[in-house]
Parts: sequence; C-alpha cells; structure tokens
Amino acid sequence: GMRRGAPRGTLRGVLRRHKPQLRLAASGDLLIHLNFLMFLHRLAEEARTNAFENKSKTIKPEHTVAAAKVIKHF
Amino acid sequence: MDGVRARREARRSGRRSLGDRLRGGPGPGKDNAAARRAPPRQRLAAFPDLDSDTPRALLRRVIRNQPQVSPLAPQIAEHKETEDAQSQPPSRRTSSMGELQLPDLVPEGTSIATFRMTRSRKKLSISEFERAADKRLPQNQAHSTLDSTLARSLHMSLGSVLAPDTVEKRGLFRRPKNRKAIDIAAFEGGVEQNMQRKAQNYLVDLQTASMIEAATLTSDAEIMLNNTELFAQPQSGEQNQKELPALEPQLSESETPVQRSKISNAMQEEGKLVGRVSSVGTEEGRTRRYSEEELINDREHVDSMTHVSQKTSANQGEDEQGHSQQSEPMEQLSDSEEVAGTMEHHTNAGYSEHLEKKLTKKAESQIIVTPEEGGVAEGRVKHQDSPKAEPEMATSVRARSLSRHSHAFSSFEKSGTKPLKEAVEQADELEDRAAMGELDGSEEESTEDEAETEGQESKEGSMKTPMFVRAAAYSPLPLLSTPRPAKPAAQESPLQPRRAKPVPKSSGTSRKKKREPALASSYIKQIFRHYAKMPVARDAYKIVEKCCEKYFKQLSDDLEAYAHHAGRKTVEIADLELLMRRQGLVTDKMPLHVLIERYLPLEYRKLLIPVAVSGNKVIPSKSACLSGRW
Repeated sequence: GMRRGAPRGTLRGVLRRHKPQLRLAASGDLLIHLNFLMFLHRLAEEARTNAFENKSKTIKPEHTVAAAKVIKHF
Repeated sequence: MDGVRARREARRSGRRSLGDRLRGGPGPGKDNAAARRAPPRQRLAAFPDLDSDTPRALLRRVIRNQPQVSPLAPQIAEHKETEDAQSQPPSRRTSSMGELQLPDLVPEGTSIATFRMTRSRKKLSISEFERAADKRLPQNQAHSTLDSTLARSLHMSLGSVLAPDTVEKRGLFRRPKNRKAIDIAAFEGGVEQNMQRKAQNYLVDLQTASMIEAATLTSDAEIMLNNTELFAQPQSGEQNQKELPALEPQLSESETPVQRSKISNAMQEEGKLVGRVSSVGTEEGRTRRYSEEELINDREHVDSMTHVSQKTSANQGEDEQGHSQQSEPMEQLSDSEEVAGTMEHHTNAGYSEHLEKKLTKKAESQIIVTPEEGGVAEGRVKHQDSPKAEPEMATSVRARSLSRHSHAFSSFEKSGTKPLKEAVEQADELEDRAAMGELDGSEEESTEDEAETEGQESKEGSMKTPMFVRAAAYSPLPLLSTPRPAKPAAQESPLQPRRAKPVPKSSGTSRKKKREPALASSYIKQIFRHYAKMPVARDAYKIVEKCCEKYFKQLSDDLEAYAHHAGRKTVEIADLELLMRRQGLVTDKMPLHVLIERYLPLEYRKLLIPVAVSGNKVIPSKSACLSGRW
C-alpha cells in the first residue's frame, strides 16, 4: 500500500496551475486523487500486460509507451 | 476352393436371412449351420449375384483378385474364433483364404483385429500390427506393401482413425513433421519497429520543417547579436559560437554604453533567438541547446548586467538614454529584437539581475511564440519603445502571454523558469512578482505538455493530429530528462554570480515560490510500482511521469468543462463523479462509494462517504463543510 497520504496540497496546486480561475470543492481533491490512482492503475496493468506479451520480466519504457497510447482515457 | 466358397456362402446366408429367404435357402437361426453345409453347391449358382451387391462382396473380390498376400489371415481366424457366429464366417473366409493362398506365411500373433471385416470396433493395437508387419517386411517385401494397402483400405472401411497415420509413417513420409510456428515476439518487434520508423519519419519531417524556419531566422539574429563576443565567455554551444562571431564585426563602432546596452540587448536577443531557433528545432536539440544557451545566457547576462548595472544602476536618465539609444536599433530590428528591447527596458530600469533573467526567460517564451504571432509582436514593441512604467509593460507582457495561450512551449518555459525561479528567489520588487505572476499565467495558460504544443506546431506544419501521440511518446524522454540536468546546472551559474554581486539586490524577502507544483516523482514511482507488481525500468518512470502531466492537464480541462456546463465556477463532487463515469470507472454496477472504499485510505473514506450514525447525525456533517469555507 501507499505509505504516504494523498498530496492534497500538491493536487490543488497543480489544478491551479492549469486553471487558475477554477475552484475546487472541499473533498474534491480526494476524488481527484482517486481518479489519479485509478489512472495509474490502468496504466500499470496495461504496461504489465505488454511486458508479459513480450515475455519480459520487467516493464520497459516501450511497454509503457504502448500502454499510454492504448489507455487514452477510454 | 469349392469347399471354401461353400462355407462362405453358408455364412453369408446365415448373415442375411433375407438373402436366404430370397434364395429360398434355409431359414435363419440354428438351421443355418446345418443348412450351410446342406446346399453348398446350390449356392454356387447364386454366388456371383450376391457378391456384387454388398461392399463385403466388393472387398472379397478385391482380396481375391489381388495377389494373395495376407499374412494376418491365419491370425484373424484365430481371433475370430472367439467372436459370435456372424462375425466368424467372414473372418474365417478371409483366414481360410489367406491360409490357402499363402501357406508359406507365418501366422502373426499381433493385432489381427484390424483385419476384421465386422463393423464393430475393438481396441486395435495397430502399433503391434505394424511391428509384426515390419518383421515380415524383409521376408515379404511385395507382400508388405500389399498388406499396407490392404490394411489401409480395411482401416478406412472399418473407420479406424489412427491406422492410416501409422501405416504411412512406416512406409511413406509424406507429411512434414513440424510446422514453423509464427514467432510472435519477432512479429511484435517488427510492428514496433514500423511504428518507430513512422514516428521517426514524422519527427524528421518536423525537424526539417523547423530547420527551414530556423534558417530564415538566423539571418535576423546575426544582425542583432553584436558585440556579444566582447563580453561573452568562451562558449560551448554550437549555435552561440556561430552567432557570436557574426555579431562581432557589426557593432564595433558603437559607443560603449550603447554597446553595453546593446550587448545586454544582444545577449538577451541571442538568448531569445537561440530560444526561438531551438524551439523551432527538434525537441532534443531544443532542450540541449536551450540548456546550453541557458547557461551561456545566464553567464552572459550576468556579465552584461554587471556592466549595465554599473552604468545605469541609479541613473534614470541614463536609462532613458539607453532606452532611446536602444529604441533606434530596436525599431530596426525584427519582432524578436523588439521584444528584446522590452526586456532591456526592464533591465535598464534598474531591476535586479533576477528580474532581467526572468524577463529574458519571459521574452524567450514570448519569442518562441513570436514566429507564430509576428504582427502582434510589432504592436507590442511600439508599446514598449515608449518609455513606460514597468507595470504597463508588465501588463502588455501579460496580455501577450495571455494571448499566447495555446502556442507557448511550456516545456521551455518550464525549464527556463525553473532556473529563473531559483535565481529570482530574493527578488522582492512588485514588478518582479507581477512579472512572475505573468509568467505563471503564461505557464498556466500555455500547454504544459510538450506533446500538445508539438502537436499544435505539427498541426500548423500540416501534420496529422494523431501523430502527436507518437511524437509525444518519443519526445518525453529527452524532454523530461534534459530539463533536470539543465536546471541544476543553470541554477548554479546564476547563483554564483549573484552572490558575487552586492547584497542589496538579493536581500529582502527570500520568497521561494514554487513555480510549478508538480506531483512528486517519487510518489508517482511508488504508486506505479505498487500497481505494476513487477520490476519497472527507470526509463519507464519518465514516461509514466509524462503521462501524469498529460493526465492532469486533461483532467483540469474536463473538470472545467463540466463545472462550466453546470453553470458553476467550482468543481463539485458531482463533476468528479461525472468524470469517472465518462471514463468508465463508475458504472451502474460499480458505484463511486465502492471505488472510494477500495482505493482510498480510511480517513479519506470518512470524509467522502456520508455515514449516518445514531442521534440523527451524518458524518461528515454538511454543516462542517460549510463552516470550513468561512
């Protein structure tokens, strides 16, 4: 598991950097964190699948690249 | 032979009662046995008619007509003894035939069941049969072949599946043993190579397109980049070296202050130009050149600033003169030069080196955009030429940066502003903050994703949009890796000269503003490693990070769209749930609460999921959320 908590301040800062005029509800950044975790989860799963298909024991950059192309926020 | 035929007939008649009846022979049943022997000779007349009807008859004909080689026949007879009366007659027939025809054959003790004429299937030990047949092979070469053919035909008739293969294996190796399986790994490798080639082709096209632009720009740059060599330190960058010698001859005549100002101007412009050229160039080239130029610019600027500041430190008049002196050449300059003039405005006003550097960075970012907005830059330059208060210039710059929302190369800005940020730690001027705010705004509005910017650039270059994905895929590594080494290197050089300078500039509020709150890379690594459950290569993490940047950008866009669609300026939980629903994470079967419980730690669950407890209370209470806002 993750030892650290969700970086709430950082998430809010990142959002402000992109959209300074946009506000965020009280617990909204937690759900953003959830979405982020699920995104990484999907990306990791896809990269892992790619690595298996290549009969590789480690995830190589090309696996991740291919995974990123596939995922694309379906 | 007659006796054999008679027996055969008798069995036949025994098998087929109809046939017997037709013939008028003895009825089926026990009488057959007696009847068989009774009218053997009578049957002979009807023999040919009956034979022609049935497949057995055909087979019999075949067997009869062929050279009689059936080493198994005697064995068949042996095995058939155990069978019932019906099955026995045909086997006996064949066996007797074999015996009569091939008396010299040694009866085999192996699987004779295959020779059975009956349709009933038994376990056929064909391998044994084959082995036995092979034994006979040297003895009866011709017979063995015949046997094989016979066996094959019989096998077919009997419906045995395995026999033909084994038979064929013995004599005829027709079928190839192994088929070459498709090498999946090689195939996928080939696919990837193809994709890489295509991406490289697009990258090459991009490069060629950009290099053409670069070629056109260098001429202007060379005119402006004069005298840099007087103060410039030995340069390692290639472009800088090219530009510096070009600059040398041009401004040798001008006065020193003008020279110095021009030098600072030129240096800024050089930096800008290099920034522009590098921006136009390939990604990798860009980042490397940029980092080089950054270092060089920083040193140069430091040197020039020392001169300039010494000259115009407290003298506004000098500044104005510098302005006027600079304004003339600036007017002659192209857009980039004009922008440089504005930068010089700021510097001559007596700002700290940090601000100047900031502005150089800003100008660089602006310059990066100028190729796309040349006309606008001219208008701005006119603004800047007139001696205006810095806030005005700041606003103009801000307006410029705002208008450049979609074009700026955030990567450059990022990498540029990062060292700048470090350098400007101690700047405390309002304009500094304003400028920084501007930069922040420009950064915020500019696309942070190099891929996107590159995508847009590629669009302008009449390239397909989907290619940006591939280009992005190949751009991230160099782009991500280079800014980091550039950053520390760039930070060191500005820091050292700054300390050498008198303190008043660097004193005051040392506000360490984090220009870009990006998610900690180690945190991303940790999460990704946990979800991957596999060892991950280090380079793969760079890609993951780039994906995260893209993700956050897209996320912010989506959330803004949803909130705006709802007529709100605040992103609410409902917006986030809508986002997750659209992504397919939340479905009718998978509600949001389940996902929250699955992924988030307990304390966050409590905050997100309202739970009802006794006493008409709900946790978390709505009133608490509201009070938090106050």
